[in-house]
Amino acid sequence: MAENPATGWWGTLRLIRLHFFGRLSDLATQVPSRCAGETPHAIRQWLAEDFPELAVQLNEPQVLVSVNHCIVDWQTPLTDGDEVAFLPPVTGG
Amino acid sequence: MLTTLRIQAEDFDLAEQYSLLRSSSPATTEIGAIVTFTGLVREFEPRSRDHNDDGGALDGMRLQHYPGMTEKLLQGIIDDAAQRWPLLAVTVIHRVGHLAPCDQIVFVGVASEHRQPAFQAAEFIMDYLKTRATFWKQITIDGQPRWVDSKDSDTTAARRWDAQCDG
Repeated sequence: MAENPATGWWGTLRLIRLHFFGRLSDLATQVPSRCAGETPHAIRQWLAEDFPELAVQLNEPQVLVSVNHCIVDWQTPLTDGDEVAFLPPVTGG
Repeated sequence: MLTTLRIQAEDFDLAEQYSLLRSSSPATTEIGAIVTFTGLVREFEPRSRDHNDDGGALDGMRLQHYPGMTEKLLQGIIDDAAQRWPLLAVTVIHRVGHLAPCDQIVFVGVASEHRQPAFQAAEFIMDYLKTRATFWKQITIDGQPRWVDSKDSDTTAARRWDAQCDG
């Protein structure tokens, strides 16, 4: 498994909480709940190393990403303690 | 405007929600119309375009949501509706967790002085809820769970409100 950047000596930097929903949640059961990363895009790239099947889904254009409950661009800079969620198309109602 | 927003595992009582809408608004005497919508779990699911199955009778359904974000998005949709129409009270209840065929899933109730704003706001809230609010349905057919596909028709339904804005 690729080294989780959150577990290194620099691990307190940009420690991000991760959430996966819908069909993504089935593919992300082994993903650590926290990681480091400068942007959602960087986290997605990091995930691709160990979770290729999940990465394929994350690259689907309909998948949105939120930071602290706001839909954002994949290149949004992250800060320590941010909550990042990967959101497939919603199907409520 | 009085807003009631709940995400819960428990069922809800239609008569009770109607009564609350009718009586709890601070402007009760101004209410001239109440529109309510209730969404139910259909027993039969049509064939999936993304899954290799023919659809069929549901064993059950599981509804997942994103706590914190769902409430925020739904409040935003209600606020948006209140900007567009003169509303006196709005109630949105959405269930999560395990549901069975014929169970109630969602309730939207709108009170207004006249019927047109009440009808339109209820439809607007449902259209946006279906395309924006962070809920995901997983259905089980013949013991096989699968996530429900989003529908293009729902996206089209929500877009017509944007078109009204532009026009």
